[in-house]
Amino acid sequence: MPPKSKAATKPKATEPAPATTNPTTTTTTNTSQTASSQEPSEPTTVLERSQQRYEKTRPFEAARRQHGLSKLSKEDQKGWICDQLLHLTNRLPAASRARLLSPKASKEIWWTINGTNSIVRGLKQQPKAHTTWGTDRNGHDVGSYSIERFDERIKKRAALTALQVSSRVFRENVEREKRGFVDARSGQEIIVTEREIDEEKVRRSKMTALKKELYGEITGKLASSVDWEDVVPTPHEEPEGALAAIAYPAEYAEAMSYLRAVMSKKEYSPRCLRLTEHIIGMNAAHYTVWLYRAANIFALGLSIPDEIEWLNEVALANLKNYQIWHHRHLLVEHYHPTIASDAEALAHFAKQERDFLIAILSEDTKNYHVWSYRSWLVGKLEMWEDSEELKSIETLIDEDVRNNSAWSHRFFLVFSNPKYATPGKGATERDDKVTQELVDREVQYAQTKVYLAPQNQSPWNYMRGVLVKGGRQLASVQEFVEEFVVKLGEGDDQEEVRSTHALDFLAEIYAEKGESEKADLCLRRLAEKWDRIRRGYWEWRRKCLTQGSSEKVVEESEKAEEVTVV
Amino acid sequence: MVVRTKGARCRNRAIFIRKFPKQKGDMAAASNPTSQEGAATSTSSQQQQPNLDAITDDDFEYVDEEFVSNYTPEEAVQPQPTEPMIPDLFKQPPLVKDDLITDTSKLQDQTVEHCLPFLAGQDGPLELNDYGLPRLNREKHIKFLKQSLGPLPGRFVGMDASRPWFLYWCLSGLTMMGEDVSSYRESVIATARTMQNESGGFGGGHGQLSHLATTYSVILAIALVGGEEAYNVIDRKGMWKWLCTLKQPDGGFQVCVGGEEDIRGAYIAAVVITLLDLPLDLTPESPAYDGGRSNLLTGMAEYVRSCQTFEGGISSQPNNEAHGAYAFCALACLALLDNPRRIIPRHTDTQTSRQLTALSSPLTSYLDIPRLVSWLSYRQYAPEGGFSGRTNKLVDGCYSHWVGGCFPLIEACLSPSGSGSEKENNKTATSGLAAAPESLYNREGLIRYILSCCQDQTKRGGLRDKPYKMSDAYHTNYVLSGLSSAQHQWDLDSDPLPLPEGETTPTMAALGADSIWNVFPFIDDNDQVYEDSDRVRPIHPAYAIPQKNVAGIRAYFQGRSGFA
Repeated sequence: MPPKSKAATKPKATEPAPATTNPTTTTTTNTSQTASSQEPSEPTTVLERSQQRYEKTRPFEAARRQHGLSKLSKEDQKGWICDQLLHLTNRLPAASRARLLSPKASKEIWWTINGTNSIVRGLKQQPKAHTTWGTDRNGHDVGSYSIERFDERIKKRAALTALQVSSRVFRENVEREKRGFVDARSGQEIIVTEREIDEEKVRRSKMTALKKELYGEITGKLASSVDWEDVVPTPHEEPEGALAAIAYPAEYAEAMSYLRAVMSKKEYSPRCLRLTEHIIGMNAAHYTVWLYRAANIFALGLSIPDEIEWLNEVALANLKNYQIWHHRHLLVEHYHPTIASDAEALAHFAKQERDFLIAILSEDTKNYHVWSYRSWLVGKLEMWEDSEELKSIETLIDEDVRNNSAWSHRFFLVFSNPKYATPGKGATERDDKVTQELVDREVQYAQTKVYLAPQNQSPWNYMRGVLVKGGRQLASVQEFVEEFVVKLGEGDDQEEVRSTHALDFLAEIYAEKGESEKADLCLRRLAEKWDRIRRGYWEWRRKCLTQGSSEKVVEESEKAEEVTVV
Repeated sequence: MVVRTKGARCRNRAIFIRKFPKQKGDMAAASNPTSQEGAATSTSSQQQQPNLDAITDDDFEYVDEEFVSNYTPEEAVQPQPTEPMIPDLFKQPPLVKDDLITDTSKLQDQTVEHCLPFLAGQDGPLELNDYGLPRLNREKHIKFLKQSLGPLPGRFVGMDASRPWFLYWCLSGLTMMGEDVSSYRESVIATARTMQNESGGFGGGHGQLSHLATTYSVILAIALVGGEEAYNVIDRKGMWKWLCTLKQPDGGFQVCVGGEEDIRGAYIAAVVITLLDLPLDLTPESPAYDGGRSNLLTGMAEYVRSCQTFEGGISSQPNNEAHGAYAFCALACLALLDNPRRIIPRHTDTQTSRQLTALSSPLTSYLDIPRLVSWLSYRQYAPEGGFSGRTNKLVDGCYSHWVGGCFPLIEACLSPSGSGSEKENNKTATSGLAAAPESLYNREGLIRYILSCCQDQTKRGGLRDKPYKMSDAYHTNYVLSGLSSAQHQWDLDSDPLPLPEGETTPTMAALGADSIWNVFPFIDDNDQVYEDSDRVRPIHPAYAIPQKNVAGIRAYFQGRSGFA
């Protein structure tokens, strides 16, 4: 520190003569006067108290701060310089101090200091907000605390330290017990009693509370739980500046770090199951946790009905969630073989599942995941002939005839029934296994629903699908379809279309019958007036008409050829 | 001088002249043929944006209609000079409407009610063009996406397993809006590393299982930032082994080990296999391993086919309801496996003839195209203009991509083979169906919905599902993807290559991935309702990222044979 030594030599050079006692005593009184005149009656905060203490022990510095160095008397200036030197060099080891100041200068400093009655061990640092007393969990300066509050805090810190010591003793005992140590005094094996564990639990919750209060440190449930004692959590690893990084809530971050730890060890245990529940509660879209949960259940051989019951509540709380339904799927896959041979149990289970599905669909009638699960379940539990299933779908359609999810499920239920379905047939292909009675029934059903709201596309799509499956001509429903289209092409005031879907259907019927002009009229009117948003599509359909008619001839002759080959 | 004019098709033209500070708009619009008709009176208004909030009707003065040369009095119905040109189709509820009220119709009516003011340009003091549409608010959307790249606050914890999606959505959206995202290379590399698992594939984050969805988004994010260093992050061998463990005997893929099998799995597997040029052999550990007869692609197209429903659309798994998102997955998957002209269309007018042809000729095409096109077309609603995801469900901006993105693929498979002039003469498509018109769906409607209803015009920015919904990165990306496909025309410039001998399905190589696609800005014969400056960049019809990024990553991995 060369500048400091320069400063040290300067006064020495200019004022070689040692100061007399008289002026220094006056300085002391002077400075103390300035200090005392300023002194407030009682410090209100900790920082204020520190400040006062500082000023008391460093009168020259306090005076300089107040008046400025140049305003001080010569003696006080000298006193200030010596005081500074003393405190600066105090920090240095003796050898460096000797190198910095000549013995003569040292002597002079001490001489002055003695004369001024300066406090040699004065406080070195000017107290500062935040740095001197630290910051509490709310970001406030502890120095701004009142004395009483500060004392409280000190007491709490002492309490925390005491708890930490006891806790460490407990943990050591646990360790000793594990290793079968013998108590040196009593000669008995060390046993950690239930009471001690309970005490430790209480202790830990107190410690957590204190830590949180004092430092804002959140030690989650897990770190302070005796259950997780032996697990070293794997913290989240991510480099600085990772994209889409989430400021994880402390509880989630902690739980995930424990999850990583147990998953990497492939641990399956009740505590892991609890951990998955804990995480799912915070983030139900976490596919990894769900799969791990399922693995735990299967590894521990836990009751599937119990799990399903738990899952029901989670599902109702997370309607849009995806993973819940795959989890349920896995559970049923696992559970099914255990009840497959028992018809009664199977029927009971099917009913239970359906009841729950009905409940959840009443909350969200078109929930895609629920319907996907439902169609899978029908196949798995072979609920094809279950009249209740069909009935419950009808109820939904009665409630909202536009519920297309229900219509889709009905189509699946009726036409994917192995009794009527040839494996490998596409959904838009004819299937010879479909009986004519079935086609009649379903066409009839769709038609009654069309009457309720003719512009509702769902039953139209359904009816068309049924006819194709059953290998029936679309023209077989021509009369019905024509009910919804009146005087087509006979002028804007005459023409009446109650359903654009009927008009579309009619176009297909005419095309099927080879009446291209009529079909074209339907499509044209759709494009011009009734369904203009799809004009591009209707124009394409018109182009297909002309192309189709020219190809039809070729197709027919090919067909004839192939038939002879077969 | 900044002038606003109504389009060429408008019967009663009027011109609005702005009174306040004049700025010279650049003449870029003159290169656009649609605006040339009115070129005498119209100028681009792209660069004008002084204090948008302060614009009121008083700021315009009306110019005499006679000013317009081709004004025909007979056609003039009711001169409404203040009205922007919005077709009735987008201003009124549909013509045919039932009286019966159910939950579905209530929601639908409410949605129309919410959308109509936005469609009519009555959503606050926005500057609208002559077609009643606001500009694409690039600055705000860019800012929104950049913010969505994080750091994200704690309430996003529910997205912890979807973080890779944020990478893809944001980088893709930024790319479409013309931003250079290569500056994110380092951070994508760093982030991707922590998501990759030693056993292959990428998970949602540190310690999460590998999942096809997260793998897809990480790989696309890597392709978007580009560069060898980024490509090198991918453990190709691990990826191949992991994919083998997901492959199922029925041809589909599980999304993660022990996870569900659905059509997303098939599409993403096709993307991953073709982008990384993975070997097709199955490892003996694969559930689909059968001694070497099957490979990674075996049965995939059949799996896709099994997901087509009676309605014509595609469901997530066989036997579910048809859904827009899965239609895109199905078509894009097939388009990667083989030339779309061969693999997609199946003409099913008469059932008997098809049964016979199925016996006599190899099954090389997998979807009932007339039904699928019908179903896709019905997804578009008026007056909203946007697409819905299922029959009797509501419009949602994200289907602009999931449904809208199907049309370039459909148009390709309907397009006649051959190229250039040959194509002109040969109007017959390979499928036996008519070639698609230049637009199978109503592009104007979709663009109207996107620009007027899907933009969050508040300080927040971003794009959304529908009015009164919050914008998010997912919708921002997919709405922009939909906008991009509505603004471009794709042309498949390769004909099907002959299949290897004895093959009925493309199981030897993913032939579709090599298809050559040409893209052109879509020029509407009528009016273009948006400014040219609002055109976003084109993305590959199957990979959903720009072609050059697809080419970049494919070239890199094709350059390395085996697992060096």
